[in-house]
Amino acid sequence: MRPWLLLTPALLVLAVLLLWPLVRVFLFSLQDYGLREITTGEPNWIGTANYAEILTSPELWTVVLPNTVGFAVLSVVGTVAFGTGVAVLLASLGTFWRTVTSSAIMAAWAMPAVTGTYVWIWIFDADRGVFNDVLMGTGLLDEPTNWFTDRWSFYAIVLLNVIHHGFPFVAVTVLAGLLGVPKEMLEAAEMDGAGSFRRFFSIIVPQLRQVFAVVIILSTIWDFKVFAQVYLMPGGAGSNRSVLNLGVWSYVESFGQNRYGFGSAIAVLLTLLLLAITAIYVRTVLAEEER
Amino acid sequence: MTRAMRRPLVAATGAVLLAATTAACGGGSGGDTEGDGTLSVWIMQGTNPDAEGFFDDVSAAFEEETGATLDVEFVEWGDAHNRFVTSIAGGTTPDVAETGTTWTPEFADAGALAPLDEYVDAAGIGDDLVEGLVEAGTYDEQLYGMPWYAGVRSLVYNTEMFEQAGVEPPTTWAELEDAAAGLKEEYPDKIAVAVPGDAEFTVYPWVWGAGGEVATLDGDTWTSGLDSPESQDGIGFWTGLATEGGYSSTGATTWRETDVLDAFAAGDVGMAVMGSWTPGAIVDANPDMEGKFAAVPIPGKDGGIAPSVLGGSHLSMFETAEDKDLAFTFIEMMTTGEFAQQWGEQSGYFPGQVSLLDETLESTDPLVAPFAQQFVEGGASVPVAPTYGAVQAKLTTSTMMQSILSGDADVAEASKAAAEEMTGVLNGSE
Amino acid sequence: MSTTRSGLALRPLSRTSRRSPLRQLGKGVLVALLLVFTLFPVYWMLNSSLDARAGHTSSFWPAEPTLDHYVFVLTEGGFGTFLRNSLIVALGTVVVSSVLALLASVAVARFRFRLRTQILMLVLIVQMVPLEALVIPLFVQVRDLQLLETLIGLVIVYVALALPFGIWMLRGFVAAVPVELEEAAYLDGATWGRMFWSVLLPLVAPGLVATSIFSFITAWNEFIFAMTMLGGATENYTVAIGLRSFFGVHSNDWGAIMAASTIITVPVMIFFILVQRRLASGLTAGAVKA
Repeated sequence: MRPWLLLTPALLVLAVLLLWPLVRVFLFSLQDYGLREITTGEPNWIGTANYAEILTSPELWTVVLPNTVGFAVLSVVGTVAFGTGVAVLLASLGTFWRTVTSSAIMAAWAMPAVTGTYVWIWIFDADRGVFNDVLMGTGLLDEPTNWFTDRWSFYAIVLLNVIHHGFPFVAVTVLAGLLGVPKEMLEAAEMDGAGSFRRFFSIIVPQLRQVFAVVIILSTIWDFKVFAQVYLMPGGAGSNRSVLNLGVWSYVESFGQNRYGFGSAIAVLLTLLLLAITAIYVRTVLAEEER
Repeated sequence: MTRAMRRPLVAATGAVLLAATTAACGGGSGGDTEGDGTLSVWIMQGTNPDAEGFFDDVSAAFEEETGATLDVEFVEWGDAHNRFVTSIAGGTTPDVAETGTTWTPEFADAGALAPLDEYVDAAGIGDDLVEGLVEAGTYDEQLYGMPWYAGVRSLVYNTEMFEQAGVEPPTTWAELEDAAAGLKEEYPDKIAVAVPGDAEFTVYPWVWGAGGEVATLDGDTWTSGLDSPESQDGIGFWTGLATEGGYSSTGATTWRETDVLDAFAAGDVGMAVMGSWTPGAIVDANPDMEGKFAAVPIPGKDGGIAPSVLGGSHLSMFETAEDKDLAFTFIEMMTTGEFAQQWGEQSGYFPGQVSLLDETLESTDPLVAPFAQQFVEGGASVPVAPTYGAVQAKLTTSTMMQSILSGDADVAEASKAAAEEMTGVLNGSE
Repeated sequence: MSTTRSGLALRPLSRTSRRSPLRQLGKGVLVALLLVFTLFPVYWMLNSSLDARAGHTSSFWPAEPTLDHYVFVLTEGGFGTFLRNSLIVALGTVVVSSVLALLASVAVARFRFRLRTQILMLVLIVQMVPLEALVIPLFVQVRDLQLLETLIGLVIVYVALALPFGIWMLRGFVAAVPVELEEAAYLDGATWGRMFWSVLLPLVAPGLVATSIFSFITAWNEFIFAMTMLGGATENYTVAIGLRSFFGVHSNDWGAIMAASTIITVPVMIFFILVQRRLASGLTAGAVKA
């Protein structure tokens, strides 16, 4: 009885606020749900037609998914690697510098994502941005380049933006994990002659498996759903078809065109996709459950 | 630690449960159904810097005439469409709202708006309304959007730069090119003419000016004319100024109209296609620019005026309005006569009533007359279809411009792709 | 940082050989680079917020220094009210979601019951759904609860959004507390409630701090639902909505945007700095089993 008593408040909030809306999203996905349906409240069932349209869309497979998956892989790897590196650095610093540095990191985390995006846009602005100014000043560039028109440079900027905003979470989490590794294990390894790299990869990393699992799952979910950081960039709202990612594409194709059923179908598919991708890590976490 | 400490926990759990249940059981009607004697209105934020004062006056006059109070809510343009959709879904729509001209057919098609023909006929003002706005507000042969105000885009230029470079405001395309060349020579580091890649409405004047069409309706089917030889001619000319002449900038490839305004206000641009509402914003952004810029109607290929989009707003009545007569009284008060004129003056737009326009046309202000001329002699509309919003959402025209300006495609390829997409989306088959 | 664990695992073990000047220099360079990378955008935001010509120049120091943007944002821009509202909403979300998530996570971590795994999975899945798809259904739901245009309604929505993460993280914390400690308490004659309050809670406290920071940030920066749920009730608007209001129709007021952004960042920064130490020990205990 007791577990259910403790669970009920949370489950109630979730059920009322999220469960029913989730069911409705699923129901919308099976309809051609546009403004007219919203106004009249009458359903318009078309079965799995939305799903078929999504899965047979050439744009999805040639541009959108590759961009989304490729970017997610790079940003998760980048954020986790960089964040871990920072954590290691932080762990080896004295109190004063650690406080200074971690406060700086917090500032990067606290800055609103929208603001950060615009700052990066300015930095790389073709005509007036600092980046071009410096490059031209040092003679590496003859004329101003618009970094947003080419797919690779576009996403390099988005990557910079997302990693900058996301590494603090990783750094702080991993740092805390590092501080929990038993000193004795490391001492023993060093006495056996293991260098720092070897110590890191053979002792520390395995101890932090759960930490990394959590961090990777969350980062994957977030980086897959990146929207504002792409949408707000010049050309990112749809006029540059080569940089479309899942978030922007789904927005333009569905909500931008009043096709809410279509948008709901994309949401369902994305959820399933994320579930599939994070399955390995989820199993790691849940396996520990059965102790 | 005693039982006294356990109690708060149980109490907390209980309280949450209780609150949630009570809230869920809350009955009664939700939404915006106004009681007797109140009219709820949504107006877009930012069009008129003096909006609050203006509506105080309107409320007073309205109350005097009808005895009902006015409840005006200001909405941000950027979020407005979402607000409309969620309010329709949730039944919290206002009685009257300002709708952008491309939204009116969309909402009308969904059945959210009430037709106005009856009221307009009864008031006898049907003939006095600006044609372009009426066209944009008519769906299925019924009028759903009452013309309120509109602006038009023309060619705005920096008079100081022109004088210095010794060039004249152009009246043909050849002259435009010459002017750009002259400007470029005098000011190699500035932008002679801004060719933005993400500003849909700055493209169409060149299409129309060369004799092309954006899209035409034949029976029930739309066909986009963006890839016709004439259209390609126009698009080619406009983009050529950037790609061949180098008169624009690489940054402009991804510019929106706001970016063009920013750059123009900073004094970095010789000429650009900008709206009749921008002079105020330019001076606001940079007081130094006052008196240093003017406008001319967009030149047609060999002279004359190239048609330019009449962008503006309607006042629409929602079907959910309880007292439609009251709603129309308000609409009429806002769109005709004294208040319409005042709004036009304060916001820098042209009113939707023709008789009011006559006065404006007499103006000798170099920042009003050219726009007025463009408005009357060269005002046009984008395809009036409920699906046009989808074309805009997909940024079809911007995609075309960007691929040409960045060198990814030539005019023929890009315009063909755009035309195909536009045809598909307009006919609802995408 | 934390004094409850075995200390700095990476501190050089044999001090004499590790403290070479080269190594110190190397670390110094890395720290400097890190600080530059991390702080550059923040610096740019601050720089622009103090510049009357924000957005139109790209200089490293304000071309025309002014405090006008801040004054504008706080007075006409309405940020005084927005800050208050956001604080209410964020703190409300933190408190309610912390309580609910804690109770739920105790249930999930300490007791075995049917559907336990399924509930955990459901909680995880809920985090994966893109929020835009939920806007309309959630709007209708909140309308049915009569909570539109209220701050309470917004708090409840944010609680629902923060709960999955909270439950998931706290689950680990609770599980990390050795069962033996609980059993010892029972042996001493404590009831479940007393055990919870004096044994479990103090050990889970760092975890609570960690998840509350996440709830705070979620509620603080969230825009879509705030805009949708609050509708026309401008007196209830949050800072996220306020920030968007400076993105105008014709042109953006960059100075105001950057000043507002700085103002938005500051409370979060303060919150962070205050709870920094607890955060570190908190986050990891949630993920690692003791």
